[in-house]
Amino acid sequence: MNVDVAIIGSGPAGLAASIELAESGLSVVILDEYYRPGGRLLGQRYEDPKAPETEREWDGMKLALELVEQARKRQVEIRCGVTVWSVSPGWKIELGGADEKTVHAKAVLLATGAAERALPMPGWTLPGVVSVGAAQTFTNLHHVAIGKSVMVVGVDPLAISVALEMKHAGVNVVGVAMAPRSPMTEKLSSPSHALSQLAKAADLAPNPLLRLMGRLAGGRLGKMAVHALRWPLLQIEGIPVDIRKAVARIEGEESVEAVILQSVSANGVPTGREERVEVDAVCLSAGLYPLIELAQVAGCSLVQVPELGGVVPLYGSDLSTTADGLYVAGNITGIEGAKVAMAQGKLAAVSIAQAMGKSPTLPKEEAIQAVKRARALSPIRFLPDVEQGLAKMERLWREAWLSKEGDEAWRM
Amino acid sequence: MAANFRLPVAESSEKREQIAFTFNGQQVMGYEGEPIAVALWACGIKTIRSCGATAQPRGVYCGIGHCYECRAQVDGVANVRTCMTPLSRGTSVSSSSDWHIEGA
Ligand SMILES: Cc1cc2nc3c(=O)[nH]c(=O)nc-3n(C[C@H](O)[C@H](O)[C@H](O)COP(=O)(O)OP(=O)(O)OC[C@H]3O[C@@H](n4cnc5c(N)ncnc54)[C@H](O)[C@@H]3O)c2cc1C
Ligand code: FES
Repeated sequence: MNVDVAIIGSGPAGLAASIELAESGLSVVILDEYYRPGGRLLGQRYEDPKAPETEREWDGMKLALELVEQARKRQVEIRCGVTVWSVSPGWKIELGGADEKTVHAKAVLLATGAAERALPMPGWTLPGVVSVGAAQTFTNLHHVAIGKSVMVVGVDPLAISVALEMKHAGVNVVGVAMAPRSPMTEKLSSPSHALSQLAKAADLAPNPLLRLMGRLAGGRLGKMAVHALRWPLLQIEGIPVDIRKAVARIEGEESVEAVILQSVSANGVPTGREERVEVDAVCLSAGLYPLIELAQVAGCSLVQVPELGGVVPLYGSDLSTTADGLYVAGNITGIEGAKVAMAQGKLAAVSIAQAMGKSPTLPKEEAIQAVKRARALSPIRFLPDVEQGLAKMERLWREAWLSKEGDEAWRM
Repeated sequence: MAANFRLPVAESSEKREQIAFTFNGQQVMGYEGEPIAVALWACGIKTIRSCGATAQPRGVYCGIGHCYECRAQVDGVANVRTCMTPLSRGTSVSSSSDWHIEGA
């Protein structure tokens, strides 16, 4: 198959990009390995009954269906159930799980999103232990409870959001507790760190979800972090969030039967007391990281920017990369909410259309501004220091171009 | 199977019919088009295979195709990720413990 643009990933970034690209007259195919389009939008659903009417609800599924419809109306081809395992300059895209094994395109947009970091701990391979994202998908998309009694491990915006979503769906969430201390979880297992990140996130995004979290402690969140955790137990809509207890291990024969909770100090050191809580499911949350494998295979430069979630492709303000004709949008550029992903998808599409001699539906500068607006209005914020991360990216991009002038072979 | 993990869903327009499929030869019911792993989980089957090295039970972890923990043999094809493979009538699913990369 030959197309103008191949998009990998049918999440909000890929879908929004496809619509804009088709509008400017380019042929587009979207490739996605999941069995239906929409990416992580499909499982996103939260409500804040106390928010202003227009912000009360975030219904990702509805949004995904709308975007898919708009894309299809514009002749965008969406192929699901195909895994892209290689992208090479030229551009050649190689597929698994499909009859047709290759797609040729003039430009490629990587919109592969994010994955969850693993949280290894004793007992974590038992059936019934899932990632918090799996719990979100099962609850909101498939309407299947992850358990009758569920413990959430990891205190961060996504974990708390999913705990609430489960509770609203009628699942008994017995609590949210810290990850146990291990060489892999140093920061994750520190109550002080978790709390300050949470407070920062809640302060920065005055939005339905985080407003909820800000309220969770009656506005005490920031103060709590400062006052060295004098209030160890928060209640979020009735769910106990115990930041001074960690789940030390998960127990069970054939599947999860219980978790062992252990008290910890303000920086996560176990202080001895253990208690056993019977549950049949455990959700682990260790944060998200950009899914960059294909960028690596494609040969564009990668950089380490912890403020954006880890290793990300080096990209410019128009979302181009160091590989000619290769663009990125959405969570592959840094971990943010779906609104930002959509605006980035549109921006990448504008850049691609322009590079291919087409006239996009809006000027690039406007698309750049729209990403900033989306960021300011985002209903969720995962990483508190995204702005610093973006500033760093700008600097690295500039430096790369400066050094390129003297050295043509600059690809990593 | 007595266990039922289905959540009540607000009145939905799509009326879905339960269909039969098999897991390790045993008949199970699920909704057409939902991922196989979801249908299994809904009736309480959380162990999909056993680990080739340790024989410990394994099942869904990430739910979206990243971890390969949920793989099984589906209609004769080995190492299929059941969390992202839609169910159809009569699908035959069985635990497998061998491992090679899907699509390779
Ligand atoms: C578990 C989880 C929960 C989240 N919850 C929320 C939330 O509640 N609210 C919120 O605003 N944001 C949430 N996010 C952030 C979320 O990533 C963004 O909201 C948004 O969905 C990102 O959009 P995207 O288009 O970049 O990627 P995604 O929506 O992640 O879509 C990427 C798509 O690419 C496909 N893909 C990836 N690699 C390949 C490949 N090699 N071949 C073929 N297809 C591939 C995937 O199947 C997927 O459909 C969550 C993220 C995760 C991982
Ligand atoms: S549960 Fe992770 S790939 Fe299926």
